[in-house]
Amino acid sequence: MNSRPLMLLRFATSAIEEIGSTPHGKVSIFPVTGGSFEGERLRGKVLAGGGDWVTALADGTFELDLRVTLETDDGALIHMTFTGVRDDANHYLRTLPRFETAAPKYAFLNRLLAVGIGEIRPEGPVHAIEEIL
Amino acid sequence: MNTRLLMMMHVNVATPQNIGAVPHGTRRTAPLSGGDFEGPRLRGTLLPGGSADWLLLRADGVLEMDLRVTLRTDDGALISMKSFGLRHGPPEVMAAIGRGETVDPATYYFRTTPRFETAHPAYTFLNRLVAVASGDRRAEGPIYTIHEVL
Repeated sequence: MNSRPLMLLRFATSAIEEIGSTPHGKVSIFPVTGGSFEGERLRGKVLAGGGDWVTALADGTFELDLRVTLETDDGALIHMTFTGVRDDANHYLRTLPRFETAAPKYAFLNRLLAVGIGEIRPEGPVHAIEEIL
Repeated sequence: MNTRLLMMMHVNVATPQNIGAVPHGTRRTAPLSGGDFEGPRLRGTLLPGGSADWLLLRADGVLEMDLRVTLRTDDGALISMKSFGLRHGPPEVMAAIGRGETVDPATYYFRTTPRFETAHPAYTFLNRLVAVASGDRRAEGPIYTIHEVL
């Protein structure tokens, strides 16, 4: 499959909210307090208020469900979500981001599918997001 | 991004159910009457019972696809597959597809992101991966080339 870089996205998170064991698994919420994103076609900051709803599944993997708002350096707001899988045993953290925006300049985001290659760094999660061509 | 071929999947579409204009767009459900899949690590058929593609044509002309199918491998495992996808392209190309013509899949965007769930030990690797697929809409139904994201 062909892809091209869309952005490098960094999140700042605050203390985890442990919901605990639910019928689907152990649920933890990682609040997003900020961050930044940078790519050839867009750059800006992550607004506080989003988060990643993470469920620890019975097979040892984590199911990710993230919602955040991105603000570009020229003032457009972009609603971003992803689902994904984190499998620490296999060093695998991959996501499927989707975007929604009303800003005409960034409407191309409404029409694409993407894949994120994630990594947990000491300063927070980093996702290299590629557009699927 | 590194990927490797997971499977090719042929899907047969039955008569669509036109739900019509709904608050999010124009909704249509395409039940699937069958199909098959084949790749280096799995092959089998698609079960018609719980398999369909829930389609929503948005105001910006993009078709959102919400495919849910049950796969049965040649050794009897059941695999649930769900994939969200987008399809769009030049109006004349989309019109030709609508008329059931075969068009070059390079002339439009038809991509999906499959996820899998299975309880069968031989295929649990599918639970742990995300995939991307490119589609080729033929008159009888789409052909998907599905790649595992490495």
